[in-house]
Amino acid sequence: MAKQQTEVRDLQEGSYVMIDDTPCKINAYSTAKPGKHGSAKARVEAEGVFDGKKRSLSQPVDAKIWVPIIERKQGQVVSVDGDDMQVMDLETYETITMRIPGDADVSPDENIEYLEMEDQRKIV
Amino acid sequence: MFPGATDGREGSATAAESDRGGANFVVVGAPLDVSTTFQPGTRFGPRRIRSFAEPFDDYDHRTDQFFSDLAVEDHGDVRAWDDAKEYLEYLEGTLRGVVWDDAVPLTLGGEHTVSLAGVRAVEPEVVVVLDAHLDLYEAYDGNRLSHASVTRRILEEAGVEEVVVLSARTGSEVEWDRAQRRDVTVVPPEAVGNRSLVDVIAGRKTYLSVDIDAADPAYAPGTGTMEPFGLEPRELRTVVREVAPYAGGFDVVEVNDRDDGQSAALAAKLVREFVFSHADDRYGR
Repeated sequence: MAKQQTEVRDLQEGSYVMIDDTPCKINAYSTAKPGKHGSAKARVEAEGVFDGKKRSLSQPVDAKIWVPIIERKQGQVVSVDGDDMQVMDLETYETITMRIPGDADVSPDENIEYLEMEDQRKIV
Repeated sequence: MFPGATDGREGSATAAESDRGGANFVVVGAPLDVSTTFQPGTRFGPRRIRSFAEPFDDYDHRTDQFFSDLAVEDHGDVRAWDDAKEYLEYLEGTLRGVVWDDAVPLTLGGEHTVSLAGVRAVEPEVVVVLDAHLDLYEAYDGNRLSHASVTRRILEEAGVEEVVVLSARTGSEVEWDRAQRRDVTVVPPEAVGNRSLVDVIAGRKTYLSVDIDAADPAYAPGTGTMEPFGLEPRELRTVVREVAPYAGGFDVVEVNDRDDGQSAALAAKLVREFVFSHADDRYGR
């Protein structure tokens, strides 16, 4: 899986993080003060990029954590077949099949933006 | 630990809060004590409430349940510091994690300001508050996050349609003016016993906040701003029993250490009453 390591303290709202081996987008990030005896902790609330499920974690700010590498790509819809569509990557001209999200209305020749991580994709 | 609860403190550097193991209720201590007026000491509230819960029986005869059977977990305290805004954000995250795990947060205050984090985490439509005070100041001494402004802040939360303040018996002229608006219902102490809330809360997501000073100071002297002519403990219990089945979150706040445990004992008992009543309804008994 394409990912890189960072420290919890370097996370921020709007960026990505791996929680439960799932790439998530951070909605909220807050830190607790350590006091005399504790360690500073951070709380992260996030939502799965591809499954939409809400997840949270609480860890010391100096803990190491994985951040997924998610690419934002441009594509053009080639054809639509039921719940699936053929999309051409406008950079590599490679054609891929993607599931059409329930709330999306796409038609051939339309340009779309999508997130890609390995074989997972999601229209933005 | 709250007696009868399991230990859910973040004991390790990688505590995963999603591993709650099916808790139905999670006790979270929130010992915030930065804007208390008159007598401080709410920083001791959570430990005091836990301590004075020790003599209570595990078994509840009314609902035929054992407290220790009801999957109550104690998360421990979210240590407070002096930046209320930052602290509330962090506390909200902790409480939201409880909600995401399909459990009911039970927050032990701490000053009343911590209720704002509870409301933000639960996102209720109706907030029922037992309180001697209206807490409707736009700002108190210039502080918008004062414990005297918490109900006003709650009303500003998206999704909150209505606040019902039970046992309110004092406030400034400006607060009483604000209480005239349609989103606030004030029920004075003498009317609380005759007022059912089911018509207000049925079918709506509800949050219940108990400021211990709703009780008469004869019963709960360990609180910062005592206000005579309050409720009897049994009247508070009746409200908690009625609202608990509808509530997605609960807190008891403003308990301090300036008595012989009367306030903490009452607060601890109300926490248990909430749990027994909520669980009793959940299991459809």
